[in-house]
Amino acid sequence: MSSDGFPPFISAQLRYLLDHFPHKIRVEQVRSGGSGGLDRFTLLIPYCLDYIKWDVIYNAEYPFAPPDIVFGPEDDDFHPLLMTGSEGEGDLNSRSRNILSDWNNKDPTKLLALIQELRDQYMFYQRRRAGEVDDDRLKFEISTILPREGIEMHISSVAEKAEEVKFAVPLMDMNINKMVHGCPWRHLQKIYLQVIYPVGRKYASTASAPRLKLMSTPELRALFSVDDVKLPSWLDGMCMAEYLPHLEESLEKQVREAVSLIDIRRRFIEALVPLFGRPLEADPVCFLGI
Amino acid sequence: MMDDLVLQKIAISGPTLASMIQRLSSSPADVDGLLFGHVTYIAPSTLPDDSAQSTPDSQLVATISSFLSFPSLLSFYDSLGRVDPSRLTPHLDRKTLLGWFSSRRNTALRPSMRESSVTHSLFSIPNLSLPIQNANSNSNSSFNPSIFLLFTTPAHDKFIQTNQFRAFQFQSPKLSFSPVSIDIVNIGPAFRGHYGSFSPTSPLPFLDCELRNLTAMHEDRNEENLIGMKQASKDQSELDMCAEGLTIERLRRLIGPEAVNYTAGLEDLYEKMLSKIESLARHVEASSAKVLEQENHNRKLRSKVAWSTGVE
Repeated sequence: MSSDGFPPFISAQLRYLLDHFPHKIRVEQVRSGGSGGLDRFTLLIPYCLDYIKWDVIYNAEYPFAPPDIVFGPEDDDFHPLLMTGSEGEGDLNSRSRNILSDWNNKDPTKLLALIQELRDQYMFYQRRRAGEVDDDRLKFEISTILPREGIEMHISSVAEKAEEVKFAVPLMDMNINKMVHGCPWRHLQKIYLQVIYPVGRKYASTASAPRLKLMSTPELRALFSVDDVKLPSWLDGMCMAEYLPHLEESLEKQVREAVSLIDIRRRFIEALVPLFGRPLEADPVCFLGI
Repeated sequence: MMDDLVLQKIAISGPTLASMIQRLSSSPADVDGLLFGHVTYIAPSTLPDDSAQSTPDSQLVATISSFLSFPSLLSFYDSLGRVDPSRLTPHLDRKTLLGWFSSRRNTALRPSMRESSVTHSLFSIPNLSLPIQNANSNSNSSFNPSIFLLFTTPAHDKFIQTNQFRAFQFQSPKLSFSPVSIDIVNIGPAFRGHYGSFSPTSPLPFLDCELRNLTAMHEDRNEENLIGMKQASKDQSELDMCAEGLTIERLRRLIGPEAVNYTAGLEDLYEKMLSKIESLARHVEASSAKVLEQENHNRKLRSKVAWSTGVE
């Protein structure tokens, strides 16, 4: 019996997923569907600078059956197994279908592959929904911003709140992990701009500016705090394609500076050794404290 | 594409629902199965005072009359949720399929990825649609199996046995599930209306009830003897379906001029019907015990697989 209470075939696939997923994934509400041991849990999967919660339902009694998934309450028309949607979606659709039909409970990589394919499909699903919103400015933004890689969209339509479309735009085509000497971070560090567009009322005279916020992967904060960055102001009638280059240019400068400061701090701390003697314990990555 | 018929509600009798819940909660694992019944147009019982107010002419109601649960998962569909019609047909003998149900403990009360696919697949199989009773000429007269009944238990409640269930109807144009209210039909004055459309499912054989003079027709009857004997043995086997050890001759005596010992004869019929039910129950009990034994054995084998070290 495995230590976590799951039967070994589930335990191996879940562990592999947590170790190899490109973003930090969380597991919650581990539970059992019967007398056969723990076999279902909720995954918190990072998406569009937030989490989506998916219930993964294995069946300890039927180890050969692939797991089933219950998606979030807002996504009740997301049916990844049905052959629908645009061409891009269709390809992904058949990939996740293949994973399910070639399921092997002894192969620990299967759950990771399934979740990755489904998340990609979910991205296309959200993109399609955002594209269907009847708002001219939004349609323009989507058409000009789509060539950027890694962009994610999410449309929220909670009953009491007004509809809004959220973009997560990865900024700067640079690998910060590689710039930091002796990088300890397992996941790729990135800075994102979150852009939230309220969906326009048809008769509103002027379109209101989107809400902007810089966000970063958590470990990056030790090096560089995005909260300290002052965002350039959004001018009337601006679009993202105009806004982003300036922001990226100034951010890139600040990140490079932050990285070079690490080196200066390291040299400073090393220079202290003859004064204080060894051992000198310091924060090994960013050299922020002794 | 034709518009889908939208159900007003789903009716299920208390005993049917109770026996489903009993089956689901006594199962050691998740269960699913098929739902049978019929679909009827019912005229609304209240007449609107205001004639300008537009009310639908009649409401479409699906009545679940029986169910079949499968002993294991992925029994009539594969891991992608594609239904295999050849695995369905053995169970469809003289029954009309309304949809299917799924029970999974400790999960959200929403259709899952695979369940959506199974429902869509079941809906799309040709030749599974059932005729709607009381359908008038200008309304749609057939119904595709589109009902999905989902059972679960709340994740946090450990000490009280709670069952939650919700019924959905699959809408094919939008590929979406819309919730439908469930009406639990019980015995009692409040539910009398539901029995208006009652029809027996195990009819007695149809017997000739001509008030002719038996002695005068004796000659003719002799000639018809062979046909008559064939008919009698057919009637007898039909009667044997619902009563144990009552001859067709005695049933015949209940109609026509011979119906003198009416009360005693009826009582005898009911008694024989009860003994038939009793012997059926004994058969079911014995075969259930065998099934249970086999299921337990299968479970042990499966759990051996599940708990054997996972990686090759």
